[in-house]
Amino acid sequence: MEFNEKQTAVAEMDPQAVASTTPELINGSHAVIQALIHEGVETIFGYPGGAIMPVYDAIYDYQDRVNHILVRHEQGASHAAEGFARTTGKVGVCLATSGPGATNLVTGIADAIIDSTPMVCIVGQVAASLLGTDAFQETDIIGITIPITKWNYQITRADEIPEIMAKAFYIAKSGRPGPVLIDITKNAQNELLSKPFNYKKCEKLLSYHPRLAPKADQIQVAAKLINEAKKPFLFFGHGVNIAKAEEELLQFIEKTDVPAASTLLGLSSVSVDHPNYVGWLGMHGNYGTNVLTNQCDVIIAVGMRFDDRVTGDLSRYARQAKVVHIEIDPAEINKIMKTEAPVVGDAKIVLQQLLPLVNKNDHSEWRSEFKKYEQEEFEKITTPELSGDTEKIKMAEVIRKLSDKTNGEAIMVADVGQHQMMTARYYQFKKANSFITSGGLGTMGYALPAAFGAKVGAPDREVVAIIGDGCFQMTLQELGTIAQSGLPVKIIILNNNYLGMVRQWQQLFFEKRYSFVELQNPDFITIAKGFGIDGHTCANREDLQASIDTMIASDKPYLLEVLVEKEENVFPMVPTGASVSEIRLE
Amino acid sequence: MTTYTICVFTENTFGILNKITTILTRRRINIESLTVSETERKGISRFTIVIHHDSREAVEKLVRQIRKVIEVLAVFGYLNEDIAFNEIALFKIPTPIDAKPIDIETINKVHKAWVVYWHLNYVIIQKTGSEEEIFEFFDYIKPHGILEFVRSGRVAVSKSPQTLVDYLPEANWEYIQ
Repeated sequence: MEFNEKQTAVAEMDPQAVASTTPELINGSHAVIQALIHEGVETIFGYPGGAIMPVYDAIYDYQDRVNHILVRHEQGASHAAEGFARTTGKVGVCLATSGPGATNLVTGIADAIIDSTPMVCIVGQVAASLLGTDAFQETDIIGITIPITKWNYQITRADEIPEIMAKAFYIAKSGRPGPVLIDITKNAQNELLSKPFNYKKCEKLLSYHPRLAPKADQIQVAAKLINEAKKPFLFFGHGVNIAKAEEELLQFIEKTDVPAASTLLGLSSVSVDHPNYVGWLGMHGNYGTNVLTNQCDVIIAVGMRFDDRVTGDLSRYARQAKVVHIEIDPAEINKIMKTEAPVVGDAKIVLQQLLPLVNKNDHSEWRSEFKKYEQEEFEKITTPELSGDTEKIKMAEVIRKLSDKTNGEAIMVADVGQHQMMTARYYQFKKANSFITSGGLGTMGYALPAAFGAKVGAPDREVVAIIGDGCFQMTLQELGTIAQSGLPVKIIILNNNYLGMVRQWQQLFFEKRYSFVELQNPDFITIAKGFGIDGHTCANREDLQASIDTMIASDKPYLLEVLVEKEENVFPMVPTGASVSEIRLE
Repeated sequence: MTTYTICVFTENTFGILNKITTILTRRRINIESLTVSETERKGISRFTIVIHHDSREAVEKLVRQIRKVIEVLAVFGYLNEDIAFNEIALFKIPTPIDAKPIDIETINKVHKAWVVYWHLNYVIIQKTGSEEEIFEFFDYIKPHGILEFVRSGRVAVSKSPQTLVDYLPEANWEYIQ
C-alpha cells in the first residue's frame, strides 16, 4: 500500500516524465486539452489550484494553440465564459480547481442554465481513492450542481476523458444550450490513457435527441391560427438569437405584418428602427406592448418562456389570446401558458418552414394601436427622462448619448438593476446579437466579467459594460483580468450611491423605509488606476458628451464613472402581482 | 389526491437517482414509494415512482422535466388503471409458547401469504399484493403483535402492448442474461 502511494506521488510531481517513456500514450491532462482543441476551443477562462494542477501543467505545452485567460475569481471565469458564449454562439469553457474553485463557479453555472448559455466547466477533484474522505478541498460538486447543470459527470479514469469531453460539448451546445460540468479526479488527470488518444466528436446520444425540425402537423395548426388572427402579436426571446434566426424572424414579421415585441434577452434581434418593432415586454418594458398583450387575439411566441417578469399576474395575462408557442424545449410547452399550437423545434428551422404557409397580410390598423400608447409613454416618461432639465445627470441620458455615439451598434453588457432596465429602454439597438445581461438569474456582478468575455469573443466590436455602483463592487477584481489582457473593454459605472432598484421598491412598496440600500463607495477611478486602467468621473451634464467621446476613442480599457441622480425610478413598471394592463407610468 | 405511477427508464450510471429526485424535491412532491432495478435490457434501469397529486397538469409537467435529464431514455406517467402493479411486504410475527398459535391455513388460503422463515420465537411472513391487500393482512395479523413490517414499494408494468423497444427502436438492445 505504501509503495502504491509513493508511485502516485511520483506521477503527480512529473506527469511529463511518465508520458515521455511511452510517447504514443498521453496522460489524462493532455487528453483534456487535446479534446478542447478538437472541439475548436481557443479560449479558456480559468484559475489554477491543487486538484487541477496536472491540467495546468499540460496547458503550459499548448499555449500557442489555446489562449488561457487567468481571471481573478472563478465566478469571473464563469461569467466571462457566458459573455464569450453569448457573443460567439460557441461553448464557453471554464477551468477551476476542486472545492472552493468549483463552488465559486456555481453562480455562473446557475446563471447559464436559466439563460440557456452553452458552457463547459472542467473542475479538478481529489484523487478517486480519497473521494468521500473529506480530503483537502474535496467538495461534492456533482451533488451541488445537479439542479443547475444540463449535464454533469465525474471522470475517475483517464480512459473516460475523450468520450466524456465529446459528450459534454455536444450536450452543452445542442438543443436548448446549457452548462455542463465535468469533475476530473486528480488520478485521472495524471494517469496515462491505456490506448492512443482518439477523439471522435459526439453527434448523437441514445437518451437525448433534441428536436430541431418541427412536426408537420404542428406547423399546420400554427399557420392556420396565425392566418386567421385579427390581432396577432409576436413575442421574440433569447431563442431567436441562440438559433441565429434573426433573418428568418424578419422575413416572417414582414410577410405577416405582425407587431413584434422583445423579451429582455430578445433585445437587438430586431432593430428598433423596424416599423413592426413595438418595444419590449414585461415589468419595465413598454406601455403599449404590455397593455395590448391583453387585447391581442393570437400570441406568436418565438424562443421565449413566459417568465414571470414578462407575464405579471398570470391569472390576468392574455386570457383572451390563443397561443402559438415556438420553442425548442418541450418542457416549456404549457409550463406557464396554455398553448393551442405548440411547435417544438429550433426557431430558425420552424420559421423557415412556417414562412411559406403564412399569408401575406396587412395589420397596419392593429399596429397603429401601439402608436397612441407609444406617444403617451414618450410624453410622460421618455421625454422628461432625456430632457436634461434636472440638476444631476439621469441614467437615461447617459445610455442615449452612448447609443448615439455608437450608432446603436455596440455590444451592451448590462449588470442587474435600474441601470440594466435603463440600458434596455434607452439603448437603440440596431445590430443583432448586441445585448448581454443576466436575465433569468439576475446576477449582480455579471457585467464586468461578461463584458470581458464578450470582448474576447468579439474583439472587433465595441463592447460597453453598464454597471451600477453596487454591482461593480461584487466582481471588480476582474479589472485585473481586463488590465492584464489589455483588451479595450469600456466600462460605465452609473453611480447613485444606492442599490437603486431595491431602493425604488422600498420607496414604492415599503413606505420609503430605506433598509440597507445606501452605499459609501470607494473612489472608483483610483481603484481603476490602481489596476492600471484609465478612467474619469463625470459629474456634470456639460462634461457628459466629451467623457463618452474620450471613453469610446480610447484603444485601451477605460472606466467612466457618471454621477447620476440619486433617487430616480424606472418607469413604466408592472408592480409584482399586478396585471400587465395595470402597468404604471409613474 | 390521485395516485400516479411514474416509470422512468435510464442509463445505468452513478447519480441518476439524485438527478431525478431533485426534480421532485424542487417541486415539493413527496415520493410515496420508489423501486429501482435493471430492466430486461443490459445497462438500462427502471425507476418506479409512486406519488399522490391533485393536479394532472402538474404531473405532466413533472414528467417532462424528468425527461430532460440527459441519461433518461423515456418517462411514462400512469394512472392505476393503466398498469398491472404489485408490492411485497414482510411481517415478523412473534410466536411465544403461551400465545395463540398463528393460523397458517387462513394465512395461506385466505390471504395468499407465506411463511418464509421459521424461528423459535417468531416467523417471517411474506405477503404479495396491492397496498390494500397488504393492509388487510396487516389488520388480520395485528392481534399477534408485529415485531417488524416492511413494504417493497410498487413495481408496475404498463398494460399497453408497446414496450421500451418500440419507443427507442434505434437502440442496440441486449438482454441482461
